[in-house]
Amino acid sequence: MDLAFTPEEQQFREDIRAWVGANLPAEIAYKVHNALHLTRDDMQRWAKILGKKGWLGHGWPKEFGGPGWNSVQKHLFEEECALAGAPRVVPFGPVMVAPVIMAFGTPEQQKRFLPGIASGEVWWSQGYSEPGSGSDLASVKCRAERQGNTYLVNGQKTWTTLGQYGEWIFCLVRTSTEGKPQTGISFLLIDMKSPGVTVRPIVLLDGEAEVNEVFFDNVVVPAENLIGEENKGWTYAKHLLSHERTNIADVNRAKRELERLKRIAKTEGLWDPAAGGAAALRFRDEIAKLEVDVVALEMMVLRVLAAEKSGKNSLDIAGLLKIRGSEIQQRYSELMMLAAGPFALPLIREAMEAGWQGDAAAGALGGFPGGVVANAPLASTYFNMRKTTIYGGSNEVQRNIVSQVVLG
Amino acid sequence: MDFDFSDDQVQLGDAVRKWVDKGYTFERRRATEKAGGFDRAAWNELAELGLCGLYVPEDDGGLGMGPVEGMVVMEELGRGIVLEPLAQSLIAGGVLAGYADAATKAAWLPKIASGEALVVLAYQERAARYKLDVCEAKATQAPGGYVLNATKSVVPVGDHADAFIVPAKINSQLALFLVERQSAGVTTRGYGTQDGSRAAEVNLKNAPATLITQDGLTALEHAVDIGIAAACAEAVGVMDKTMAITAEYLNTRKQFGVVISSFQALRHRAADMKMQLELARSMSYYASLKLNAPAPERRAALARAKYQLGTSMRLVGQQAVQLHGGIGVTEEYIVSHYFKKLTQLEMTFGDTLHHLGEVSSRMQDTAGVFA
Repeated sequence: MDLAFTPEEQQFREDIRAWVGANLPAEIAYKVHNALHLTRDDMQRWAKILGKKGWLGHGWPKEFGGPGWNSVQKHLFEEECALAGAPRVVPFGPVMVAPVIMAFGTPEQQKRFLPGIASGEVWWSQGYSEPGSGSDLASVKCRAERQGNTYLVNGQKTWTTLGQYGEWIFCLVRTSTEGKPQTGISFLLIDMKSPGVTVRPIVLLDGEAEVNEVFFDNVVVPAENLIGEENKGWTYAKHLLSHERTNIADVNRAKRELERLKRIAKTEGLWDPAAGGAAALRFRDEIAKLEVDVVALEMMVLRVLAAEKSGKNSLDIAGLLKIRGSEIQQRYSELMMLAAGPFALPLIREAMEAGWQGDAAAGALGGFPGGVVANAPLASTYFNMRKTTIYGGSNEVQRNIVSQVVLG
Repeated sequence: MDFDFSDDQVQLGDAVRKWVDKGYTFERRRATEKAGGFDRAAWNELAELGLCGLYVPEDDGGLGMGPVEGMVVMEELGRGIVLEPLAQSLIAGGVLAGYADAATKAAWLPKIASGEALVVLAYQERAARYKLDVCEAKATQAPGGYVLNATKSVVPVGDHADAFIVPAKINSQLALFLVERQSAGVTTRGYGTQDGSRAAEVNLKNAPATLITQDGLTALEHAVDIGIAAACAEAVGVMDKTMAITAEYLNTRKQFGVVISSFQALRHRAADMKMQLELARSMSYYASLKLNAPAPERRAALARAKYQLGTSMRLVGQQAVQLHGGIGVTEEYIVSHYFKKLTQLEMTFGDTLHHLGEVSSRMQDTAGVFA
């Protein structure tokens, strides 16, 4: 038992840090460090930089053009990216659909789809949830009827994150209504430029349109876009969700945001009890609790990674990572908003964009009320973060899964 | 990075578990509790397994093992809510080996390892709460050494121990001393504690003492950190067993014609307990793996660990009782004893609020497992 990374792993970290430092555009890092609005171009610019280096699919094995890193190397890479202020890689292509295509797709499908995912050229979206199928995903109704060499798709998907940018979408579609709900589902890749596909943004409580409804009205999809076998899609979907769950803990981002919370607390006079008195002490203790939460989550993540690396994969705590990671994301966003106090309340859209907020001289509106910190997005981020305990299998569903481990 | 136990560590844990299962039954524990809370025979059995000398160097008759072995052992003892305070031997072995002069080591370490000498840390005072630098005890130089005047409180097995490790001030400088219980001027008043074990008030009136180190605060902080790591590991064992007892009860007890583990409200509570257990286990690993780090890093890490463990212990203990219903609050049924052990562990070597303060005052701009 040893907590330290090996000298090789340390060197690997140094190499990654140097590369990220040299290649991550400063203006993008600035936005990430201040939780400012990222445009499609921001996200895709970083994806393409990673893609060019061969690291957008950083979890991919070598045979598919990935770096072939082990679980610890992947973690170190993600950590260095997060701490440097890199945008989180939009996971739908490289992290979610690609492993399914690798595991269950034909060589032709792999050749056709993987290069565009690896390079960051093609934007993928996820078509899982439906208005009637949230936690109970196996109840999906979006219908795909086989007609010769094509499927005719009719139905609706929803909560499609960043679907407004999507070029392709992977969908769980109903190909049979016989037997158990799980047995009639297929995994279909759909070109979102196909006639009959309509994307409608859903404005969320923070005013942003981060998710969408996607409608399919007699959309013709070539049968060659089916992954694996018809009616076996549920198996492939579960494979995908297992990838999503460890990713979703997001402990590296939590470490970065904890640093940001401390900066905000300092600026707002809530860091030093000698200067800020009892109010500062009370607030500082709340940060201290979060700090322990983050360290404990990181230790749990490291335990899972080490178990994967050593091959003794007997840890039954992956479900816990999602619950804890999401709770922590909500907590830091909550504390940041509270730190700003009344200056979290002004809703000035322009202030959420990069560049002028906090700089009274440059702003068209004369700066953001309350001064020099990035207070503008704090409340919006807090509202936005309510999603984390809902998506990827709600935390209540996760507790059901965890309770099966404990109680059978 | 590696969180697997070596074969030797697994064997060590198995040996302790075997002793707990076969040699330390709940009936034996109950009898010990009734008899005052300490059983020297059980203590000698721990010594025969070599456990009292876990942190005593091999040259001094011990096993010369490290924090991970200490963690493995304490976790198994926790599973059996063993009353005899092995953590005190880890502290005594670690502190004397690390800070005492050659003569003191030679005089005490072999006896600690063999179990012949039970040496405990006597550091708590009425006015100090959990602060280590607050100390009323006074040491003055005397022919052939020092004499101490002090009152130390809630000292584990204080009226059975053979010697005490005692912080006291020489002028304004905190130093650490060894005091034998049989010496003139030492009086003890023993009593049972809430978890069924034993403690005592220890009064020293011009009691002769051997100096361990002039750098008393450094050594005391180290002693308490060894104790925290041991308490964390022990707590993981207690919680692990508490979970198992509770899961079995939920799967057996029937109400409304079904086992109560079929109710989602209770299943989610069990999931919350599992969460706290695994966070605690993670931070117990962290505590033990940081125990040999440089002092500032070690202190910060151990405070984080004890805060997490305290939080976890309270939730797991309280919810275990709640999920059992009425039987959970009886003396007869085993789970209440696990709950009381968890409660006492939370208040040992600094409670949760104390360690929150420690974490809070030590915070830096960045934080993580490695910072």
